[in-house]
Amino acid sequence: MLAADFEVRRRSFPVGLKLHLSAGEKVAVLGRSGAGKTTVLEALAGLLPLSRGQIRLDGALLSSARPRAIVPPGRRGVGLLRQNPGLFPHLSVLDNIRYPEGTTSASAIATAERLGLGALLKARPRTLSGGEAQRAALARVLQIRARLLCLDEPFSSLDRPLGRQLLELVSQELQGSRTAALLVTHQLDEAQAFADRLIVIDRGMMLQVGDPREVVLHPAVAGVVELVGYRGWLRRGRQQMAVHPELAHPLSELSPAPTVSGRVVGARPQGARFELELEAGGGWQGRFHCLVDEPLANGTTLGFGPIGVRVFDDRGQPTDV
Amino acid sequence: MIGPRVPTLGRAPATRATTLLALVGAGIVWVALLGPLITLFTQLSVSSVVRALERPGALQPLVVSVLASLVALAVILLLGTPLAYLLARGRLPLPRLWEVGVILPLLTPPLVVGLLLIFMVGPATPIGAALSHLNLTASDTFFALVIAEIYESVPYYVLGAEAAFASVDPELEQAAALLGDRRWRTWRRVTAPLASPGLASALAVTWARAMGAFGAVLIIAYHPFGLPMQIWATLQETGLSSALPYALVLLVVALPLPVAAYLWSARARRRL
Repeated sequence: MLAADFEVRRRSFPVGLKLHLSAGEKVAVLGRSGAGKTTVLEALAGLLPLSRGQIRLDGALLSSARPRAIVPPGRRGVGLLRQNPGLFPHLSVLDNIRYPEGTTSASAIATAERLGLGALLKARPRTLSGGEAQRAALARVLQIRARLLCLDEPFSSLDRPLGRQLLELVSQELQGSRTAALLVTHQLDEAQAFADRLIVIDRGMMLQVGDPREVVLHPAVAGVVELVGYRGWLRRGRQQMAVHPELAHPLSELSPAPTVSGRVVGARPQGARFELELEAGGGWQGRFHCLVDEPLANGTTLGFGPIGVRVFDDRGQPTDV
Repeated sequence: MIGPRVPTLGRAPATRATTLLALVGAGIVWVALLGPLITLFTQLSVSSVVRALERPGALQPLVVSVLASLVALAVILLLGTPLAYLLARGRLPLPRLWEVGVILPLLTPPLVVGLLLIFMVGPATPIGAALSHLNLTASDTFFALVIAEIYESVPYYVLGAEAAFASVDPELEQAAALLGDRRWRTWRRVTAPLASPGLASALAVTWARAMGAFGAVLIIAYHPFGLPMQIWATLQETGLSSALPYALVLLVVALPLPVAAYLWSARARRRL
């Protein structure tokens, strides 16, 4: 349905994306701030011209670099929900929701009620809480019946449980519809909760595309590991190692040779469990962490790997120990 | 007892003295500004106003002033609004140059503006000749009065409207575009309503300036008499006391609109 392969020039580095989305599919773009995530969405929404490639939706050309063409935003069947809800301050919540041309009051009210805004229809945007404002903005963007919904960290400024709840709400609204969704975020848990597929980008480049869990288990390049929960870096010669505290489990003594071993030097509680700090052995310089149910005495030596332990060469490509 | 200094509750005396000083200052400014208005009412008797205005043709200058100002206002609104919007959004090439052009009439003494206008649109100039083909003359006519009023008041509108448009978050316009609005619909449904308090203030000031335009008017539109010229002529011919009723009329006509617009815009601003 969506076929995009393009590049957008920015001041610092070009931002590229190659992506096929089928109807109803949900994909998350994961990257740190400044990685070019918003640029990707703005290009899809028609706010930025392309410097290379094109964007097609259901076969129709939306943007193209050569010949330079762009269907204006709002006429492309692409909706955009941003971190700033952008409600019109002079209109009530209901008037905001039915703002898009051709929206009936009935459909606006129905959406508002599904999203729990029934009692706030007459309220002014400035009286809403952050969560309410985002729900109103969501209700409004749903009125344009976009075929692609772009979500630009819409709930990042809210506290996490509320953000997750609203993301759940978006999923419910999209359920059974043909609308595809692209969520941009820097939070792995948000991306995993929402998406069927994960794209990791950094400095405008796609580093990895894959199943949301697979990306965590097998990060393809060094640039991905820290985004998906690993902590680095331990060094040995030209090699570098990152360890995922939740994935790395101490091996039993009967296991074959560990990827890395460590001597416990500290333990502190994390949630209901304990995070051990270990001094790496086997020539590795640095310390790493792992989560266990019971604290272990300092000086205990434990072996780890290969799960949750990734090794890369000095060019960021995965290698064996 | 030795320990950290605990801040005491309540306002420090120094703050109270500052507040008092500020109040006194504000009071002086207020009295000084409203003083002339108060004087006007103490110097006038109802009967003298009625007598002055009952003379045949006495209200003619009022009609001329109101009509000329309305026409000037319409022209300013029509031509100044797009300019103000483009300036606010930074969409014009060489923005400084445009701004200088807008501010120049404000910085030039109105008398000088009037003189220069004679040399620009007077009967002996190419523009004047072109105008005469349209049966228009830009000196000592209603048309000339409108031109002079525009020159004296247009900067107030453009600067005020520019500020009003600049206060509208461009992200809201973008949001409207993303929801499918074409530019004109966005302008009508988002930009204009959000800028309207500021636009109303700008329009109010412009109206007051147009109604009161004198310097340039004196040079290129001595006739037909609007209220300011009537005040001036009466002052020259018969003295202070007979000019005062016209001053009152000018104030009564010129002030309510700006005051109402100001009050409305202050309320609208609070609501947003």
